[in-house]
Amino acid sequence: MNVEVDLTARESTPRWLAYGAPVFTVLAALAVSALVLLVVDVSPVDAYSMMFYQTITTQIGAAQTLITTVPLVLAGLAVYLPLKAGLFNIGAEGQLVIGALAGTWVGLNVSLPGYALVPLMFVVAGLAGGFLAAIPAWLRARYDVNEIITSLLLSFVALEILSYVVRGPMRGSSGNFPQTAQLPAAARIPELFMRVHVGLFVALLVVAAVSLLMRRSRLGFEITFMGSNDAAAVQAGMSRIKVYLLVFVLGGAFAGMGGISEIAGVQGRLRAGFEPGYGFTAIPIALLGRNSAVQVLLASLFFALLFTGGTNMEIFLGIPAALVEVIQALIILFLITGEFFKRYRIDVSVERGSVTPDTAGGDA
Amino acid sequence: MAEPVFLEMAGIRKEFPGVVANDRVDLRVERGEIHGLLGENGAGKSTLMKILYGLYTPDEGEIYLDGDRLDLDSPQDAIDAGIGMVHQHFQLIPRLTVAENVVLGEREPATPFRPDAESPIPEAVRSNRVVQSVAERFSLGLDAPTRRIQRLADRYGFDLDAGAKISELDVGQRQRVEILKALYRDVDLLILDEPTAVLTPTEAERLFDSLDRLTDEGLSIIFITHKLDEVESIVDRVTILREGKNAGTAVVSEVTQADLAEMMVGREVLFQIEKEGVDLGEPVLQLQNVHADDDRGIEALSGVDLTVRAGEVVGIAGVSGNGQNELAEVAAGIRQPTTGSVRVDGTDLTGAAPRQFVDSGVSFVPEDRLEYGCAADLSVMHNATLKEFRDQRFDGPLGLDYDELEAYAETLVEEFDVRGVEDVTETKAGDLSGGNLQKLILARELDRNPALLVANQPTRGVDVGAIEFIREALLDQRMNGTGIVLFSEDLDEITDLSDRILVIYEGEFVYETTPEEADRDRIGLEMTGGGRAGGDQRPSDRHADVTAAASEGER
Repeated sequence: MNVEVDLTARESTPRWLAYGAPVFTVLAALAVSALVLLVVDVSPVDAYSMMFYQTITTQIGAAQTLITTVPLVLAGLAVYLPLKAGLFNIGAEGQLVIGALAGTWVGLNVSLPGYALVPLMFVVAGLAGGFLAAIPAWLRARYDVNEIITSLLLSFVALEILSYVVRGPMRGSSGNFPQTAQLPAAARIPELFMRVHVGLFVALLVVAAVSLLMRRSRLGFEITFMGSNDAAAVQAGMSRIKVYLLVFVLGGAFAGMGGISEIAGVQGRLRAGFEPGYGFTAIPIALLGRNSAVQVLLASLFFALLFTGGTNMEIFLGIPAALVEVIQALIILFLITGEFFKRYRIDVSVERGSVTPDTAGGDA
Repeated sequence: MAEPVFLEMAGIRKEFPGVVANDRVDLRVERGEIHGLLGENGAGKSTLMKILYGLYTPDEGEIYLDGDRLDLDSPQDAIDAGIGMVHQHFQLIPRLTVAENVVLGEREPATPFRPDAESPIPEAVRSNRVVQSVAERFSLGLDAPTRRIQRLADRYGFDLDAGAKISELDVGQRQRVEILKALYRDVDLLILDEPTAVLTPTEAERLFDSLDRLTDEGLSIIFITHKLDEVESIVDRVTILREGKNAGTAVVSEVTQADLAEMMVGREVLFQIEKEGVDLGEPVLQLQNVHADDDRGIEALSGVDLTVRAGEVVGIAGVSGNGQNELAEVAAGIRQPTTGSVRVDGTDLTGAAPRQFVDSGVSFVPEDRLEYGCAADLSVMHNATLKEFRDQRFDGPLGLDYDELEAYAETLVEEFDVRGVEDVTETKAGDLSGGNLQKLILARELDRNPALLVANQPTRGVDVGAIEFIREALLDQRMNGTGIVLFSEDLDEITDLSDRILVIYEGEFVYETTPEEADRDRIGLEMTGGGRAGGDQRPSDRHADVTAAASEGER
């Protein structure tokens, strides 16, 4: 028997596949994850109903999903914008952390009424995130230093700074925990309902702004062109430094705002490891939503659901946290593989019997 | 069958999503002939040849070689059957020698293991199959192959040293290495895909001599081209494809070039371009003593002076790689000169950003359409408006009015007859054929009515119909007062379009003439640096504004 696998690039993606691929791949991932669940003796039906259906339909679950969406969508856009310009910002994590740190510092040390203090915290957080993001962009545009490496490594720098600051200069006076003092009430983001805070509006506004930037502005035209062919863009008079800096600084600023919204809107104080890697989750979010800012929003909602539903499974069904992460990772992995099938066609042909074994090997 | 046909492709049909690339095409090649395969871009020549070389499987149709039916699943099958192909883009490894490149992929055991060699290893061991297979896998002996390659090269007058590194060879020699690769594998039928696209006229002549010797030895050759004069000078019979179908087969000596062109395009083609006189205006480009490095940091331009006036076409002839690309890029503002000055339309733009060149009315048609001319993944609309999207008339409520952009792109597509565009916002630039993409780029660059147009190989790889269109568009633009710098390796194009001709060699202008006085042999000689040793006339003697620093460069 001879199995032949043939891989050909698709010239165009059929419409049913473009929309169907994510659905099929998520279902496939859930099917594989079901095996994992069966091993630990949990009914996959219960688990999935808990993870998705009950998370969406209960008020707490839905609210928690929206809360988690805020930092995810902001960090997602921080990866999305550079991606449109053909760059990979792997450092949204660091930009988010540094934004949270700078914003918290303002919240703790500046006394202003809430309507002025919270916007100021957002601005400073944005500036800090934007500054951290500007470094890889500038190095890339000016010296052709790979932005993937620099932005990633700067994330670790930011994480270590956070770790130092909450143990040193900014440690709260109460207790020995590596965390800052509680933010004063004026520095907290107002709540809308069920702990969902105004940060959600900020995130939606940013999505709208990025959408308009990409679809209706000259800068968006330049970013799109630079992302598709930078040599042709430069030939037409566009500036690599300008576009690269712009997408990274804007992206970094969004991630920074995502960081402060998580602190001032949800947690109330800055701790080491205050967030479960939103900035890294932003990468698959941006890859899935790379066609538009609205798609980034949808991808963020889906990932927020995975996070929230995963926590619910852990709490209510006693599924070990590690397994929940395995399930989440499988879904992400399958989704990204699904992108591959959109672009390539795989033909598997099986021939039986017709192939004779190497005749030369038979004699002698 | 009365006459013995060597190769017969019968009723070949190949369909790709949306297009029928070959629609029941027949091709019959006789032994020992050079058979031309002529057609516009997209006519299906490459598809047909890729089928013959085993790269594509036909949907219908049969291939017979010497009476045997062939079933080709891969190039290896084709080579085993005796069919070799030389691609337009060479597939050689520069750091390896000629011999190493030729044997690449073959298993050649070291000499002591060869059955026919003197060897300390006993015959019985050597001929053992296992030993043979291990030796083939784990040892490499180049002595015998090198000798064989050298013999082959000498037999066909290829003037190649089998031990030389590819990086030391010029383009013509590299092409002969590619041919050797096929000959070494004992092919009887050789497919050459636009072999002269990269050659100078002199090198092309040499290639033709070599091909004649090959056919004398009984080899058959399929020669893909869209240049009619080549068909005339080298090909015995020619098969013409048009839109994927047979448009006829002809004995070349019995037809005229105009007949062939008409079969190829489907209508009459004008060869003679009418050029009207035009009054020259102010200088639009002034380069003074420009030096520039190439991408590797090696000096590619060594003191170039060039003045182009409004309404003037300056043609720059030269063998590729003599500084043309760098000169074009300096003139278009993409490459910074290391020394020297650049003035556009009277303004000093030395060291200015590309944007200022664009804003000063410089248009650029780059040599490599896909790499510099367009973003293949983006829509025709994006590509058509690349230079003009900043213009005020596209102001929208939030910055840019995409509806206006779309309308503008549609008018360009219409005016410049860009075919294959269904919807300017949906069709991608990369989906257009070479000629149509070039028309789109030209439309974008000309519609702005530029002061200066830098056109680098504007008709390379473009079919006859589009060439005609592009040349006329360039001359129309000249009447509008645009100064044009035209780089081309096609001497006919240079002499047909230019008001002045400059020959560039190793980063300097070595010769200047006018189309009226132009002597092709002299230009060919100067292009290869041959005019310098006995150079009796310096361009600076005759033209005040062009001083090629030939004397400094004297070696």
